[in-house]
Amino acid sequence: MNQLSFVLVLAVFAASCVPPEPPVEFEEPRLRRLTEQQYINSVQDVFGTEIFVPTDNEPDTRARGLLQVGASSAAISPRGVERFEAAAYTLAEQVMSDELRASVLDCALSGEVDDPCAADEIARLGRLLWRRPLTDTERATLEALASSSSAALGDPNEGFQFALAGLLQSPHFLYRVELGTEDTQGRWTRAFTEFELASRLSYLLWNSGPDTELLDAAEAGELSTEEGLDIQTERLLAATRGREGLVAWFADMMHLAKLDDLYKDPNVYLHMSDTLGSSAAGESERFFEHLAFEQEADLRDLMTSRTTFVNREMAALYEVRAPAREGYGMTELPADGARRGLLGQTSFLALEAHPVSTSPTLRGKFVREVLLCQTISPPLADIDTAIPPVTEEAPTLRERVAQHLSDAGCAGCHEPMDNIGLGFENFDGIGRYRTQENGAPIDASGLVDEDAFADPTELASLLRVHDDFAACLVKSFVRYGGGQGEEEAQLEGLDWLHSAFSARQHSLKGLLDEYLHSAFFSQAGELEPVGPQDTTEDDSDE
Amino acid sequence: MSKTPSRRMILRGLLGGSAVAIGLPVLECFLNESGTALAGETSFPKRFGLFFWGNGTLPHLWTPEGVGQGDEWQLSEQLASLLPVKDRISVLTGFEVRVNNEIPHYSGAAGFLSGHAPLGEEGDNTFAAPSIDQVIAAEVGGQTLYRSIEFGAYPGGGLSYNGPNSVNPPESSPYLMFERLFGTGFVVPGDDPVIDPRLGLRRSVLDAVLDQTHELRARVGASDAARLDQHLSGIRDLELRLARMQENPANLESCALPSMPPSDDAIGTLSERHRLLVDLAVMSFACDQTRVWSDLFTHPVHNFVFPGTDAGQHQLTHDELDPQPMVNDTVKQAVDEFRYLVEALSAIPEGDATLLDHCAILATSDVSLGRVHALDEFPIITAGSCGGALKTGIHYRSETRESASSVMLSIVRAMGINAASFGGDDAMVTDGLSALET
Repeated sequence: MNQLSFVLVLAVFAASCVPPEPPVEFEEPRLRRLTEQQYINSVQDVFGTEIFVPTDNEPDTRARGLLQVGASSAAISPRGVERFEAAAYTLAEQVMSDELRASVLDCALSGEVDDPCAADEIARLGRLLWRRPLTDTERATLEALASSSSAALGDPNEGFQFALAGLLQSPHFLYRVELGTEDTQGRWTRAFTEFELASRLSYLLWNSGPDTELLDAAEAGELSTEEGLDIQTERLLAATRGREGLVAWFADMMHLAKLDDLYKDPNVYLHMSDTLGSSAAGESERFFEHLAFEQEADLRDLMTSRTTFVNREMAALYEVRAPAREGYGMTELPADGARRGLLGQTSFLALEAHPVSTSPTLRGKFVREVLLCQTISPPLADIDTAIPPVTEEAPTLRERVAQHLSDAGCAGCHEPMDNIGLGFENFDGIGRYRTQENGAPIDASGLVDEDAFADPTELASLLRVHDDFAACLVKSFVRYGGGQGEEEAQLEGLDWLHSAFSARQHSLKGLLDEYLHSAFFSQAGELEPVGPQDTTEDDSDE
Repeated sequence: MSKTPSRRMILRGLLGGSAVAIGLPVLECFLNESGTALAGETSFPKRFGLFFWGNGTLPHLWTPEGVGQGDEWQLSEQLASLLPVKDRISVLTGFEVRVNNEIPHYSGAAGFLSGHAPLGEEGDNTFAAPSIDQVIAAEVGGQTLYRSIEFGAYPGGGLSYNGPNSVNPPESSPYLMFERLFGTGFVVPGDDPVIDPRLGLRRSVLDAVLDQTHELRARVGASDAARLDQHLSGIRDLELRLARMQENPANLESCALPSMPPSDDAIGTLSERHRLLVDLAVMSFACDQTRVWSDLFTHPVHNFVFPGTDAGQHQLTHDELDPQPMVNDTVKQAVDEFRYLVEALSAIPEGDATLLDHCAILATSDVSLGRVHALDEFPIITAGSCGGALKTGIHYRSETRESASSVMLSIVRAMGINAASFGGDDAMVTDGLSALET
């Protein structure tokens, strides 16, 4: 309670210097397909962590920089339907196995028509999986599936698998159905329902579905009250999964999932290994978690903090002592070293590079697009992109890419990227520190807009205070929470949230608190339902 | 039209408990709906396959010398390995993909394969319209277990689109592809399927899911309705497949259970992975499990470091100095994978001819000259005559930068589909490429 009270006191204090929240309009609400991690979490929260969850059912896709936004436009392919169906039976079979059944079900099934145990369990598990109570018709259909399957197979536990599989491959499970309804409180035209707010909150904070208590709070109408929302927010943040959802936001923003497929030529990078990608992702996640949750620091310190977390592999790469024999330990990077902040970490340095070399362009582009939310046009067609070879006159990449910057046709787009990206040249394609390239000293100076820097630590300081950085964090957070990119009608609201975030010392908890009490969390956009369809016509197009 | 109610009745009857009654009499209503049983067909089905590699060619080393038929033209530097199959392919050069080249690599792939410029910004793009494999699958895919199969040696990516934001992700594990196509439930011709009551129960679960999806569809907006339509179509595909798995398979002479591929970590090279996938895909045609597949050897912007080169292939296309010997080598490696595919299809006899003769195979990339992301001189090769509808053994060179879409329209029509046009806007054509058609 004390954390929240502190937050509330701050909110009152901050309210005096932040303008009132302006009205915003939102796009039509969209179904959000569970991401792979959400699918895993949602299943394990209901059935326990021992259960094996099949993955690779349908790849997540990225939009507006985030998988969480891609989830609002991605469909489910025929192969995806096939895999989700197979996964549903893999899960159902495990749940009904002798090992797991007793820990999931609260009663013993009889397999008879009108089996009260089957009815209760369908209602209870259905409410958790579909994140709302089932309608009478929905329950009746699943009960009929359970009893007829039990009869056909002569075993109530085998038969119940088919009801479970029905729950698990339903669109009500695979998509987050948050469509909104008429706002009964008169704040806006439309708002999300109590149960939809429960989902929005739990996926934001846990990256998983709501638990029974949260659904109960929704059922009691508590989530559309400020107090009720605060109580549940605090409870969710204090739970085991309490940091998982917001760390997932950070991981999504930083594209950390791509590190699973990190691909480097081991002949060039002797420190490359099969585990380097996941080691680097783990470092960045732990770094963020510590800074945002344990220190409750200014999020802009992501650029400059020298406190990070390394396992043995990362310690070797960074040439620091491994603080822990196993897993990650906290380490303080040398105060006079070039490496600090998120952009001194292998996660960024290796992802934004080629398999055999660095890429100032990719690194600069990432800073511009992901951290500053700026737009860089793709290269024009019919432009020769060749970089000249290493020569005695041009031993380092800086001299070689100088061509991009001297050619007026290239410079317009490349200068803003390369002038930042060259600042990371002290780090090779997997993030190892170096002072020379091909025997020549590396010059890591550059420019951020009009401001010159001499090395990566100065670059980090410039980015920390760049106007667009904090604003971009806010944009990314809102995109993540709502699953949509921002539109013109929200820009004023985003500016307001940015100033509220500033007034809260740029802390993650401040941003979360302001967001949850704003229209961004509870207001729904206009929806024009397509209405029922003639199903005979629909089925004839096979 | 009456199929849906009757199918639902069958399913509900099944739920009454007589699951063992599932068998041929029930399933014939599906067969009748879908048309021909293969055993009764006098001609072999037509199939379509796409072979795709990323990051283009070196056009001056790609284009053959001479035009015409037989000895009138000679294979080029990059096409040299196609010599054993020269009479079974047609090389088409000088074509242009007519879309705005706004998103390097992606505009070319979408522009050629779908005939429409892609939607979205760089990094989160989608095709605006179905890709050619799905245009064809929409017509012929309903007659087989799988509407289409997508696979690729280099993991990830996806260029088979049902429509906007609806990609069919490729399978890159030969083991998983084997399990899917030839694992549990696969019946070798001549054998009877094992009657499994669970298949019927799974179908009744799918029926409930179908109803839920329809109900949800009514409550969402138009763009979500389009997504759910894709979902619904996948559910119906799966229902139909579960029904067909209880049918006796068609008696296809060349269909045989392939050997189980090695596990993924036992596969050494990209080429080995690709050829294992191709072997399975070829057999999926021979067993008529699908009539459409797409094969992504590599995908646009892939940065794989090929054997014998010293950088990622995408980086090489941009940075290697002229005359780009390593890029040349990687293009030749991709072409050699295509040769393998063509020979594998040719090795399967079907009647008096080969499987390849009943196929239209299209080989292409996302750009021509990778360094500048060019969309003229687009690389296009076809293989197989598609039952005599397409010419083989020719090099046709367009002197007027014809639209690449004309090749697509010829292929769609060769597959027996009565299409009026292919593509949209500047890339739309209403005439096929007569030089390719017989």
